[in-house]
Amino acid sequence: MAHTHTSKTDPVTINTEWLSDCSGCHVAIVDMHEKLLNVLETVQILHCPVLTDIKDYPKAKIGLVSGAIRTEHDRHAAEEMRKSCDVIIAWGTCAVYGGIAGAGIVHTQEEIFDTVYGNNKTTITHAAPSAEISPFEQVVTPIDEVIGVDLYLPGCPPHPAFVFDALLTLLEGRAPKATKETVCARCTRTMKRTGVTKIKKNFDGVPERDVCFLSQGYICLGSVTLDRCMSPCPANGTMCTGCAGATMQILTEPNRDIRTEVADRMSRMTSINRDEIISEIEYSAKSHYSYTMAAKMIGKKPTFLINKWIANTEAEYE
Amino acid sequence: MIHITIHDKACRGCQLCLDICPTNVFTFDAAAAKATVAHEEDCIGCLSCSYLCPSGAFRHEEHRIVKNFYRDCEFLSRMEKFL
Ligand code: SF4
Ligand code: SF4
Ligand code: SF4
Ligand code: SF4
Ligand code: SF4
Repeated sequence: MAHTHTSKTDPVTINTEWLSDCSGCHVAIVDMHEKLLNVLETVQILHCPVLTDIKDYPKAKIGLVSGAIRTEHDRHAAEEMRKSCDVIIAWGTCAVYGGIAGAGIVHTQEEIFDTVYGNNKTTITHAAPSAEISPFEQVVTPIDEVIGVDLYLPGCPPHPAFVFDALLTLLEGRAPKATKETVCARCTRTMKRTGVTKIKKNFDGVPERDVCFLSQGYICLGSVTLDRCMSPCPANGTMCTGCAGATMQILTEPNRDIRTEVADRMSRMTSINRDEIISEIEYSAKSHYSYTMAAKMIGKKPTFLINKWIANTEAEYE
Repeated sequence: MIHITIHDKACRGCQLCLDICPTNVFTFDAAAAKATVAHEEDCIGCLSCSYLCPSGAFRHEEHRIVKNFYRDCEFLSRMEKFL
């Protein structure tokens, strides 16, 4: 990996690019308003869809790529970024794991087109657009299966503090530090043993403010999620849905999983049976695994049986 | 000797480490609702506390690292690249 150094005469050049994503990663940076100007003193932003009007890919030291590869255009743009930048950072959950678009792996391209265009109840046109749209690929691919990635920064979006720390890591030639703390580490709720016997849906009742959601019977993914966000959700009264992706122990060990780890902890904090918690998470697996299922580390886990879980859930509806 | 630190601010007070530790290394400070390391010398380095802790609040030093039977080697090679 190439390290870069800054000097007054030679600002560090940066290209950014978005592939299939929600644009949130880029917007989070622009949202910093004048704080962004401090950063602009040390870097020079070249290709950047939200800030500049440069359409080609000038040579740059650092390349931040957000989004997953869903279309042929995404693949082309990712390859151009690799060619033009010395260091590529997979920026945000979409780039690292496939992200929200990655949930598309549980449906065929035909099913998705049919739902979005063919039989969409809220539009009057019933055909997929044919002009000026880049052809879709059959599956959603995290970028590192297509281009070499030097560094990974998950988060949906990663809090700008982490983005700037990542840039400083590179500018100062430091080695990246993968912190293993989870969303719980920055949550301020207290985990208490309770006699709660029933799993609650997110919308059931009003949760207590200072007590951990797991203790209260709500499924919160904070303990299985890497903190790259500063834990805003539990601080604002809602459960973590795991948007920054799983913890290192889940990603590296095929026998560990999101549902089993949450169940291990929650069943000890409450009187709810461990298996019941596992079933509940499988029942809504499309939400609980949506951010990471396109990544091999999660999607190809021998214990990840998404198609079976979806079939079970659908059978219950019928 | 193994050295254990708990990131105090990250501790959610769940006491899961007290439950799981086979050698009763921890005590609980009820007033602060935090776990504390009381008998570090008894730690056998099994890392059960570290795996179960919801926050990832533990740091063990000078313990013998035992490789897990099953690991995703492909992902492990990427781990050091995480920012
Ligand atoms: S990682 Fe999240 S915020 Fe960033 S582009 Fe993807 S969906 Fe949007
Ligand atoms: S599980 Fe959720 S509510 Fe409980 S401590 Fe972790 S982040 Fe906070
Ligand atoms: S859902 Fe979880 S990981 Fe995502 S921003 Fe909220 S607290 Fe952070
Ligand atoms: S398991 Fe972690 S969060 Fe729970 S009491 Fe022990 S150190 Fe604190
Ligand atoms: S590593 Fe094992 S023995 Fe040591 S404190 Fe943790 S649970 Fe106890």
